[in-house]
Amino acid sequence: MPVIKKELFNMEYTLHVIYLLCIYIMLVLSANLTTGMANLLTMCQAAFYGIGAYIGTLFLFQCNYLFVVIAIAVMLVTGVSSLIVSYASVKLKGDYFVLATMGFQLIVYTILYNWTEVTNGTYGIAGIPGINLFFGAVSLDGIYLNLAFVMLITIAVVLFLYRLKNSPYGRLLKAIRNDDITVEAFGRNTASVKIWAFALSSAIAGLAGALYASYVGYIDPTSFPLKESIFILCALFIGGIGNIEGPICGAAFVIVLPELLRFVGLPDSVAAEIRQIIYGVALVLIMIFRPQGIKGKIVMK
Amino acid sequence: MILQFIINGLITGILYSLLAIGFALVYNTTKIFHIAAAGLYVLASYIFWFANTIWHANLFVSAVLSVLITMLVSCIIELIVYRHLKSRGASLNVMMIASIGIMTVLVNVIALAFGHEAKFVNTEIQRTFSGDSVILTTPQIWQLFVGGIILSLGVLVLKFTNYGRRLRALSEDEELYSTLGYNVNNTRNIVFAVSGMYIAVASCLSAYDVGMEPNMGMNFLINAMVAMMIGGMGRVVPCIAGGLLLGVLQSLVVSQFAASWQNAVTFVILLILLFVRPQGIAGYKKRIV
Repeated sequence: MPVIKKELFNMEYTLHVIYLLCIYIMLVLSANLTTGMANLLTMCQAAFYGIGAYIGTLFLFQCNYLFVVIAIAVMLVTGVSSLIVSYASVKLKGDYFVLATMGFQLIVYTILYNWTEVTNGTYGIAGIPGINLFFGAVSLDGIYLNLAFVMLITIAVVLFLYRLKNSPYGRLLKAIRNDDITVEAFGRNTASVKIWAFALSSAIAGLAGALYASYVGYIDPTSFPLKESIFILCALFIGGIGNIEGPICGAAFVIVLPELLRFVGLPDSVAAEIRQIIYGVALVLIMIFRPQGIKGKIVMK
Repeated sequence: MILQFIINGLITGILYSLLAIGFALVYNTTKIFHIAAAGLYVLASYIFWFANTIWHANLFVSAVLSVLITMLVSCIIELIVYRHLKSRGASLNVMMIASIGIMTVLVNVIALAFGHEAKFVNTEIQRTFSGDSVILTTPQIWQLFVGGIILSLGVLVLKFTNYGRRLRALSEDEELYSTLGYNVNNTRNIVFAVSGMYIAVASCLSAYDVGMEPNMGMNFLINAMVAMMIGGMGRVVPCIAGGLLLGVLQSLVVSQFAASWQNAVTFVILLILLFVRPQGIAGYKKRIV
């Protein structure tokens, strides 16, 4: 059927998928910073993503002149909001901490859903303006410019995290992952390390949210539920934790795989469920037979 | 009016307690954060609906069928996933992630088979029974009685029989338990079966009242976890009390504010409790490592 073939190789759509891939690479890498590098299993990455998207939208409507300023503001706000979670990570261990992050995720979701004066509730916010890099001189519209910009930021994030992983701070995170009591016994302040890990992780997720909001032009709370956090974790663990390649691989797996399924000729009505089933089965199989993930080096403790 | 809200809250609380015990049985004995319970919860509801609406079985037969199949699936999960992970020396976090995978598979298989729209078992106008200032519907009376009976049976069995003592022994020290000649795997199978039964009972009772949709499981399970946290980890009666308390609290929040803020209030309570007293109101204080 020629009609379908034409649809399959839609250029604009392919670029859209690549854009989403960049966003998810950032999200999964940010989850890796806490879950993978510091062994703090968090289920609230979508909450930071959502906070970033809503704060970014707010700034894009109010003062869309210099994107650098907006990005810094978004990262600051999400970083500060992560203090609740990092406080929990200092106080609580194991399943208690997971439950606390779930609680944070659900509180943020409920606020986004119900604080209608600011977030417009279930109706969402439409018509979000595109990013303006420098006082109207360079404004991003169209997929090509947006894609180029998000790719630049993704590469910057990847390089930054690569540097971070091999820096003294990165080694400290690794030490905390292996044994945080010993690190404390050596006189290091594990609390501040954890707080910074969460601040960085949430800032990256928030930045991804702001970029996503300005690109899609419409956000509503249903993009940021607990399911999304679980999805990000799924991608992370399928790819592998603790290094940079693993999360990128995982993001590619969960974003590119559904597009490959389209070639098999799966009807659209069931595609979403089949996709989720594949993720679930992949997750269970990977946990049993290859717990370090596709490209990862280490196993979650 | 306030009495009505308290009664409604207590009845919802019974459902939370049932699910919380289903979760806590697995959590306390095996330390697995059994998120797949949310998938089992959805599965039980849909079997109940399927038997009742498609096969035209009566309510009781459908409920029994649902409970049996859920127990079976719960054991299958233990046999083919958790046991393999355990024999490979996987950490508890890894088991929890696998559990998330199982939950995703179960929920989406159900969504694939039956669609995302809500389904209802009880479509007639409900008969109500009114006292002086309290009105109860038929499903609520069923929830009160069946839930109450199953809960009290659970307490009796877990607290006073040899079987309950074995569960506590297993949760204390697995190696010692097997050294003394008991079969760890058998006991674990029984734990998963009983946990499946509690999940299915909670699920059927709630499905009979308010119907079902594929994504309800996680929300309900998180409420059950909060109930368990409020009462205290590792104990049965406080767990039930926590469920009832949570139900009443949520119902009172609904009566004072809008129903949409119910979740936020629940989790603010959870966060405060986690920071102030992580072992729960009646839990034993122990080192959390």
